[in-house]
Amino acid sequence: MSKVGAALEELHRAEEALADEYVQVGERLAAEHEVWYACRRFGEQCRLHADAIRPFAASHEQPLPPAGIADGGTTTAPFWHKLAEALGRRPESGLLLLDSLRRLYLQAQEVSFHWIVAGQLAQATRDRELLAVVDELHRETLTQIKWLKTQVRQAAPQALVVGSVG
Amino acid sequence: MAAADRTADVWGERTPFAGGGDWPARVDSHVEVPESAVERWVPSACVLCSNGCGLDIAVADGRIVGVRGHAHDRVNRGRLGPKGLYGWQANNSPDRLTRPLVRSDGELRETSWDEAMELVVSRSHELLETAGPLAFGFYTSGQLFAEEYYAQTKVARAGLGTPHLDGNTRLCTATAEWALIESFGCDGNPGSYTDIDVCDTLFLVGHNVAETQTVLWMRMLDRLRGPDRPRLVVVDPRPTPAAREADVWLPIRSGTNVALLNAVLHELIANGWVDEEFVRERTVGFPALERTVSQYPPERAAELCGVPAELIRDAARIVGTGERLVSTCLQGVYQSNQATAAAVQLDNVNLLRGMIGKPGCAVFQMNGQPTAENTRETGANGTLPAFRNFANDAHVDELAALWNVEPLTIPRWAPPTHALQIFRFAEEGSIRFLWITATNPAVSLPELRRIRAILSQRRLFVVVSDAFLTETAELADVVLPAALWGEKTGTYTNADRTVHLSEKAVDPPGEARSDFAVFLDYARRMGFSDRDGDPLLAFSTPEQAFEEFKLVTAGRPCDYSGLSYEKLRGSGGVQWPCNAEFPDGCERLYSDHRFPTHAEGCESYGHDLPSGAQNEPDEYRAHDPKGRAVLKAAEYVPSPELPADGYPLLLDTGRTVFHWHTRTKTGRTPELQRAAPEAWVELAPADAERLGVADGDLVAVESARGRIEAPARLTGIREGVVFVPFHYGYWDEPEGGEPNGRARAANELTTTRWDPVSKQPVFKTAAVRVVKVAGGDGAARVPAIASQERTR
Repeated sequence: MSKVGAALEELHRAEEALADEYVQVGERLAAEHEVWYACRRFGEQCRLHADAIRPFAASHEQPLPPAGIADGGTTTAPFWHKLAEALGRRPESGLLLLDSLRRLYLQAQEVSFHWIVAGQLAQATRDRELLAVVDELHRETLTQIKWLKTQVRQAAPQALVVGSVG
Repeated sequence: MAAADRTADVWGERTPFAGGGDWPARVDSHVEVPESAVERWVPSACVLCSNGCGLDIAVADGRIVGVRGHAHDRVNRGRLGPKGLYGWQANNSPDRLTRPLVRSDGELRETSWDEAMELVVSRSHELLETAGPLAFGFYTSGQLFAEEYYAQTKVARAGLGTPHLDGNTRLCTATAEWALIESFGCDGNPGSYTDIDVCDTLFLVGHNVAETQTVLWMRMLDRLRGPDRPRLVVVDPRPTPAAREADVWLPIRSGTNVALLNAVLHELIANGWVDEEFVRERTVGFPALERTVSQYPPERAAELCGVPAELIRDAARIVGTGERLVSTCLQGVYQSNQATAAAVQLDNVNLLRGMIGKPGCAVFQMNGQPTAENTRETGANGTLPAFRNFANDAHVDELAALWNVEPLTIPRWAPPTHALQIFRFAEEGSIRFLWITATNPAVSLPELRRIRAILSQRRLFVVVSDAFLTETAELADVVLPAALWGEKTGTYTNADRTVHLSEKAVDPPGEARSDFAVFLDYARRMGFSDRDGDPLLAFSTPEQAFEEFKLVTAGRPCDYSGLSYEKLRGSGGVQWPCNAEFPDGCERLYSDHRFPTHAEGCESYGHDLPSGAQNEPDEYRAHDPKGRAVLKAAEYVPSPELPADGYPLLLDTGRTVFHWHTRTKTGRTPELQRAAPEAWVELAPADAERLGVADGDLVAVESARGRIEAPARLTGIREGVVFVPFHYGYWDEPEGGEPNGRARAANELTTTRWDPVSKQPVFKTAAVRVVKVAGGDGAARVPAIASQERTR
């Protein structure tokens, strides 16, 4: 183990946590079709990121927890799906969407932070392979953040500005 | 007088011509009275596909009695397709709506315009006060005239100030729009139909041109039958008429266009079929594109797409060695998996070959509807008027100044809301007022059970403007009877930027009014005004609205400033831009290879293609292409809904040449209705055999979302793919309205999903199963074209 290994473990943990969050948000917001599809895709992308970190953690003798589920679903998914469709017919569902985007945004920013750290470590330890992985995968995380911004810009006014009507 | 039955001879007689020659004229007409009885011929253009063929409307006794193609029109040289020849009869249909209807005690009853409009206006005022402008949604069309969209855009974006205005063009041409924007910085097809006259290679991807744009196909056929036949490559899972003419036909697995086009790009690069100077000087993004497509050798694409690698090589060789290449795509790309990503790869084909902005060299992102281009130009669909960028403050401020409204009135916090998101907001209840003009979402949107449930909500106030009591109008709170084409004046623009003026030929029936007049009336009753307190809609005739729209377009790529009704009258069509530089219009965009990608001018800062994430303005400025075209790469990503246990087949929905949309007009046209009287299910013989289905048997098609029944028809369609035409709803079924008995609308089956960039619904990849319901009489009543086998 090393401090570098510990930093990679943090990155791995953050990617796995973000993957879980995408999966859960996707299920809870199944009535938001675009969010549902994107969350499935991004959840898988985070799992792939986590897997890509493994060999580097191993080379620093850093143990990692076993791989998460890669299919993007949980045993409670059908339940959440039904609930989402029912809740999705209420104006408050916009608030739920906004709150979910907020949590995803913060977690994605945390992942991005850890990628920055990993990139700096790769440079300082002259690890070209890690540097290449960081370059490519951090860009994907930044795209996720960009997507979340795109969504929140549309969702916020509709969730917060439309007055209640009888 | 009526000549041959053009439903049996769809493309009429050939008039072959050689490359570089003039396409010979051939005048088609169908008039139900002797020509001597025609009192006047009124210039117009056809509105039954995106081609925009110039024609004259024949009038006798105050009625439309026929049409005749314009011999000198640049689009059609006199020709008309079967829908254009016969479809005008719908105007005279006895079941036209002639009085406004309002719902009371659950029933629609006739009323006066005053009462109907007061109801709409009082509901609007009430909602504006309690909920604000974001509670309003407008879902419009690709069928109105430019002046009507312009008035509607002003009402929505500046009168109320809602971003929720979109057209059904979202279903047909949103991907064309966005593919052009992503590659060239701005909407607008670069080429001209005359490029077909000089090309030596045609590359048609997911474009059933023979059925969707019959007259354009006549032009291609006349070249194909001429002395120097262009080579033709067709990508389509069905044996369409174009596929049967092709030198190479790639019967691709639905939803894999990106993989195939990446392989074509791979071959262009691997064989050096690239205009290196053009790519170096006039594009950005080549290294990333090269890296991406290097992963798609034909063998890999062959596996993904289900076509032999050798065929892909043959296709790429033709595309790569032609000297004048015209590429086109339509719904097989736009309504399929990875729509924008695939359409952009087609742009990339022409860009790598440097074949753009020169005679015979063009990529056409085709339109589906006659006035779709105007929905886009006027800002009724996707962006702001005259291709302005919502994320560019200078663009929005300029528009606010032109309209003399407070700049923050025009929503700029997000792109104009797309159609399916408008319906989503209505579903959750944050949109409470939905005004639907000239479109029929209860048949044309995906997942109809859901759409009917949304439109039936009591909390949603639905206004429908239409000429007929459509399936959608049946669910409305207020129905406003609309004037049709021929009964009003205005302009519209086709897929190659040709503008036509269509003049009013006859009065609308009863109390029906043009949508233009209705929007004006609504704005007046609502008291919409500009910053000086003057009426927001300061025009009273379409011509005055056109003059104002010209000012809004001046200096933008779709510059109308040099046009006028006078100039358009008898012109045979004028292509924009039309201004001081191009006083007679401009045949080809980008002939100087300067593209409108500059950060200050571009229509959008673009997107990440896989996710649809919008690029940030400063990010775009940091990599400003400054007039170069953008090569955007995309990995192939399989459709999220693939054939699986229980649903082993892929549904492909689409069109027949004889019908238009949900048949509101063509189903009321005897010749067209006779030619394609009912829905059918197209199956490959191998699939049919496995299912124990014979030609003509009644079968059910089921997806996770719904079930329909129709007769089976065995054709040369690709194995594993099932085709169902989407035209057939319920208005002419005995029960009417909803499918109380046997459902037949293809969209009962489709899935609510859209492309991440263009937001165009994915109609063409849904997993389904087919089961036999009953034996048939041996022959389904389906159009002959669908059943023809491959001949080449």
